[in-house]
Amino acid sequence: MRDKQSKQRNGLRQPRNFATLLSIIVPGLGQLYNRRIFKGILFLIITTSFLVTSWHYIDIGIWGLFTLGTIPREHHSIQLLIQGLISLIVLAFGVAIYISTIKDARRDAIAREEGKPKPSLLSGITSFYDRGFPYFMILPGLMMLLFVVVLPLLFMVSLAFTNYNQYNAPPRKLLDWVGIDNFAALFDVGIWQDTFLNVFTWTIVWTIVATTLQIVLGLFLALLVNDKRIKFKRTLRTVLILPWAVPAFVSILIFSALFNPTFGAINRDILSQFNIMIPWLSDPFWAKTALIMIQTWLGFPFVFALFTGVLQSVPADMYEAADVDGGTRFQKLRFITLPHVLFATAPLLIMQYAGNFNNFNIIYLFNEGGPAVRGQNAGGTDILISWVYKLTFETNNYNMAAAITIIMGLIISIFAFFQFRKTAAFKEEGRY
Amino acid sequence: MKKWLGTIFGMMLLIGLLVACGPEETKPTDSSSNEDGEKATEEMPEKPEKLTVWVNAEEKQEEAVKQITDKYTEETGIDVEMVPINMLDQVEKLNVEGPAGNGPDIIFQPHDRIGDLVLRGLVAPVNLGETESEYTDTALQAVKYDGDYWGYPAVIETYAMYYNKSLVDEAPATMEDLMAIAKRDTKPEEDKFGFLMEAANFYFVYPFFSGNGAYVFANEDGNYDISDMGLANEGAIEGGKLVKSWFDNGYIPQDLTPDIMNGLFKEGKVSTVINGPWMVREYSDALGDDLATAPLPKLSNGEVPKSFVGVKSYMLSYYSENPEWSQDLMTFITNEKNAMTYYEVAGELPPRKDSLENPVIAEDPIYSAFAEQTTYGEPMPSVPAMQQVWDPINNALSFISKGEPVEPVLKEAVKIIQNQIEASGATE
Repeated sequence: MRDKQSKQRNGLRQPRNFATLLSIIVPGLGQLYNRRIFKGILFLIITTSFLVTSWHYIDIGIWGLFTLGTIPREHHSIQLLIQGLISLIVLAFGVAIYISTIKDARRDAIAREEGKPKPSLLSGITSFYDRGFPYFMILPGLMMLLFVVVLPLLFMVSLAFTNYNQYNAPPRKLLDWVGIDNFAALFDVGIWQDTFLNVFTWTIVWTIVATTLQIVLGLFLALLVNDKRIKFKRTLRTVLILPWAVPAFVSILIFSALFNPTFGAINRDILSQFNIMIPWLSDPFWAKTALIMIQTWLGFPFVFALFTGVLQSVPADMYEAADVDGGTRFQKLRFITLPHVLFATAPLLIMQYAGNFNNFNIIYLFNEGGPAVRGQNAGGTDILISWVYKLTFETNNYNMAAAITIIMGLIISIFAFFQFRKTAAFKEEGRY
Repeated sequence: MKKWLGTIFGMMLLIGLLVACGPEETKPTDSSSNEDGEKATEEMPEKPEKLTVWVNAEEKQEEAVKQITDKYTEETGIDVEMVPINMLDQVEKLNVEGPAGNGPDIIFQPHDRIGDLVLRGLVAPVNLGETESEYTDTALQAVKYDGDYWGYPAVIETYAMYYNKSLVDEAPATMEDLMAIAKRDTKPEEDKFGFLMEAANFYFVYPFFSGNGAYVFANEDGNYDISDMGLANEGAIEGGKLVKSWFDNGYIPQDLTPDIMNGLFKEGKVSTVINGPWMVREYSDALGDDLATAPLPKLSNGEVPKSFVGVKSYMLSYYSENPEWSQDLMTFITNEKNAMTYYEVAGELPPRKDSLENPVIAEDPIYSAFAEQTTYGEPMPSVPAMQQVWDPINNALSFISKGEPVEPVLKEAVKIIQNQIEASGATE
């Protein structure tokens, strides 16, 4: 009978709602009402200490995030922006704790309604420890991630919506939020619009050609070295890994010297035997060719090592079965080796493409994006990332650089997202 | 989903509440630096405990400044803290440290950063007082911006002609002499050259433009008019044609990089090169007594080419709490005696009339040519818009080196520069 009555009671008279309400007003009160004294006091202490320590900081931070300061010189917009973003993160933590206490009070009240015994202090602590342990373990990592990765990202995204450039920079001036003006300017300011298409096409060509070549070469060599009839496998592998072992930074600079049309060894000592002089650095087409060759050379050892490892794990009985069925060499490659290898390495290969899309090092170190091309303000071999670098450091348009970077990030993420989705689908279909 | 909405709504409410609060409006505090840089002549304020100076992180230069500031501490009792920070990183660092209150009193910067520093409001103008007349006119022109002085000139540098005495009897006095040497000594197949320079680098090529009447921005007494550019006028085209002739005649190879040029000169295969005083040590180690220097050769119109002059100066941080004593220290560092100390230890020329006439410099076989050339040169423009000039004009020079016609290439470059200046927000 009483059970039924308690079920029919509703609204605030019901303990679960009352406990929830108390917790909403002051975190910890609900727990006290539930006679969970220790827990209630603990939550009260946590709440008050959180508010006492961070209230002022968050207050200024959020105010700064919205106004970016009101008095030039007195307020530093960039510092306020960062403080505001940190405040947001801290606030999100606070809200998460707040909601969890409300939920906890409600859960305990429901348990009491259903007449479950109140757990002793010790058992409460152990159950909390058991449930919360994984969270404790990832908490330091999560904290690091928030402040090392998420905060700078948020900062960069925020900059794309301000008017922060050389002529409008703190501490002398205040920044303002300008909405999507910067993105709009990308499509109607002459110097960017003209060059964007050229740079973008070359970026795509570069990504696809250079990466595909390094993968194909790596695969070809891995298959060769993996063949049963090859002797000195170890030595060969060591030699083939070498380009990866030398820091790319150094190799690129050396290549840059080798490819110098007048003084470099390639023209001077090798091609001169055939009476050929190729303008490697001064002609855009040849500079692009040289870059793709260098990247292939730099990039294949990684792929080679990857494939060599995977090839070891292809079961030999499959090949034997194929032999029994009269499969040709090519069919074995096509239907056994390739699916195995590509299935295992697809995500890593996608990362190779993404890495080359943003391969700033090689473009900048080889020829600083040169040679210059008449009528555009990017060099002949500039890819998006190196062009953005030039724009940032020459025109000091921090806001525009942030805007272009966001667009680039989106391109990469969309591409990677779909590819990973596809490989996941691929996984479910493929049965080996 | 609903829960999420609730949470977000709650956050919004909280944020709204916080935005409404904000800080109590702080009254702008009396900033200690005086906006007009007046030096109190009657009496100096109380001596501070210490002054902080950021110097360029280079061993010899640090040593020189250390010697000088130790003397200052002896004389006045004020401690000087010296922090070595790479000159090119100082601006960014001050941008962060200054407003936070951990900045220095004095920074050390090349003069072409002045426009940018003033724009960001990181430095305060200085009053050179009685010492003004002691610095050379070029140096004063360099540190002047918007009608104020912003630094105490400490180092002046420009490039000049190096030549190898075993290959050339005497320095070429005119461009014709130089071309004759180039014609006589250039044998590309043996890697021998009569005359080399970074001819696709505007910094070094400028004298051949300006000597004929080209200019970057119109300049009147430290006020630059960035809408008036003279890099495609007749003088510039004249200069461009001169540069083009070097490539057309095969005197200078198209793909010359500074490393290759220095390497060949040090091997004794090049008769003359144009380069700055920062190469003196390296060149003289390689060539010994064969190394000699001279001012740039006169152009066909009889003018000495006006090279780009860079002046490094000590500047007063806007956030310094002791502007008067900081200026006192800067005056001390750049006075006659200490400037010579700096020259002897760090090997950089001081921009003072008395120093440049001092026999130690004026009769130095190597440095005297650089000292003389600084008197012909003109300071690099210090407006922030100058940053947009370098890249397009260097590209134009590289097109010229490949045989493209001079006039349209220069006109194109000027147009690109003006577009970039506009895009960078200078005209807003």
